[in-house]
Amino acid sequence: MTYVIDVPQILDERSFDQFAAGFAGSEGAARVLVDAHASEWASPAGLIGLLCAGQALLARSGAKPLLTVPTEREVAHYWARAGFFVHAADLFEIHGTVPRVKPNPERNVLLEVTPVTVADDVHAVVGRIQERSAAILTSELGLEPKATMGFGMALSEACQNIVEHAGTGGWVAVQAYSWRTLGRRVVTIAVADAGVGFRHTLEATQARRFGDRWGDATALEAALIQGVSRFRDPGRGQGLAGIRRYLDRWHGKISIRSGTARIAIVPAWDRDEPLRDGLPPFPGAQVQLVVPEVEREAR
Amino acid sequence: MITSIDLKEVLARSVGSPHSDLVTRSTGAKVRDSIEASLSAQSTDSAVVLDFSSVRVLDCSCADEVVAKLLLRRPSGPAGPAWWFVIRGLTESHAEEIDHVLRHHRLALVAEELDGRPRLLGEVDPSAAAAWNVVRDRGSSAAEEIADALPLAIEETRRALEALVDAGVVRRADGRYLPLTTAA
Repeated sequence: MTYVIDVPQILDERSFDQFAAGFAGSEGAARVLVDAHASEWASPAGLIGLLCAGQALLARSGAKPLLTVPTEREVAHYWARAGFFVHAADLFEIHGTVPRVKPNPERNVLLEVTPVTVADDVHAVVGRIQERSAAILTSELGLEPKATMGFGMALSEACQNIVEHAGTGGWVAVQAYSWRTLGRRVVTIAVADAGVGFRHTLEATQARRFGDRWGDATALEAALIQGVSRFRDPGRGQGLAGIRRYLDRWHGKISIRSGTARIAIVPAWDRDEPLRDGLPPFPGAQVQLVVPEVEREAR
Repeated sequence: MITSIDLKEVLARSVGSPHSDLVTRSTGAKVRDSIEASLSAQSTDSAVVLDFSSVRVLDCSCADEVVAKLLLRRPSGPAGPAWWFVIRGLTESHAEEIDHVLRHHRLALVAEELDGRPRLLGEVDPSAAAAWNVVRDRGSSAAEEIADALPLAIEETRRALEALVDAGVVRRADGRYLPLTTAA
């Protein structure tokens, strides 16, 4: 019998746990269908979250799970222009018509869904994003030109999280779009993998220190708030701190979901919860960085 | 003698990257290895300029590997560190990343601003920072002259100056303290 994981109509950070609950329920199923036919929109984090689910399901059973293509033409085209189906085809048995899109890139897609496995991938990603992000960040979001260099730094550090810690490959995507609750445009960097996650990565060096409190939430706190690393090298653990500094300067937001917990540094414009635990388990780590448009009157 | 090292050139040589971005920890380690290899043939007690002018993006991990570890691994003798590093061609973003990694390790480094004026990045204690400013502004000075310019006792001034020599951001020669610039 086929177990169906429904993809929420709007797949973003607010609905991701609903998708994760479906994923968690698929344990033990012989065949899994990831049903995106009713999807109306997916954030970059949502798209690469789908790929992580596919990667984990394929690794679990050895058989490709099924994936239905959104029936809404515009949605399927957007996913195609975002580079989703190119990578989904490696992980899913796709049902439905995958649109053929012109190589002409989508204006709002600063970086198509791109695999990241080794350091060279990070170089390529940073190299590709710099010029495209400069135009969006300065002319559309109203940020100062110096924000562009820090953007490349934040992107690089987020991607290195996969290279250094995931134990498997992952994906990155960067898009500009309107943030629903903010009423302004944002640029979002989404980086995710279906690897071992923060708790496992830090367990050997941190678990004893936290004792009974040790878990996904404390692992995320240790990494993001305290800047700890699994390496003995005292220079390690500065990457997430660098991302935080950059986002703090431009009133941005970072959230990281790993295992059953999610942590966020929440700016004044958002109402997210700083820390949530006991969420439906999901493999690896999902990192989202959001840089908002400067308010018109502040320009 | 002053040796100038173009970081973009080292990047191309070390990892064969066509990009001008100093990113990732592994890249930083390769770039640092390459710099250390070229310095091993260099006479000690000389100034080395690390030129970042052609570098576009610098991330924290690479800054830590290239700059902080270069200082941490630098041999040192009674006269101070083997090489005196000055950093040049920094954007504001580069300077911010380097400043943070230096503070993380409690290190300091002289950076040359676009107008040639030296600036201290990283961390030294407040007395040393004040003494460094005097040396920068006055040029070659004796400890007594620097103490006169500061609200510090001579012994405290000497301690501050020796800390700056140990950190590699001031040179000592013939009992006088000299600012570190690329014109040195």
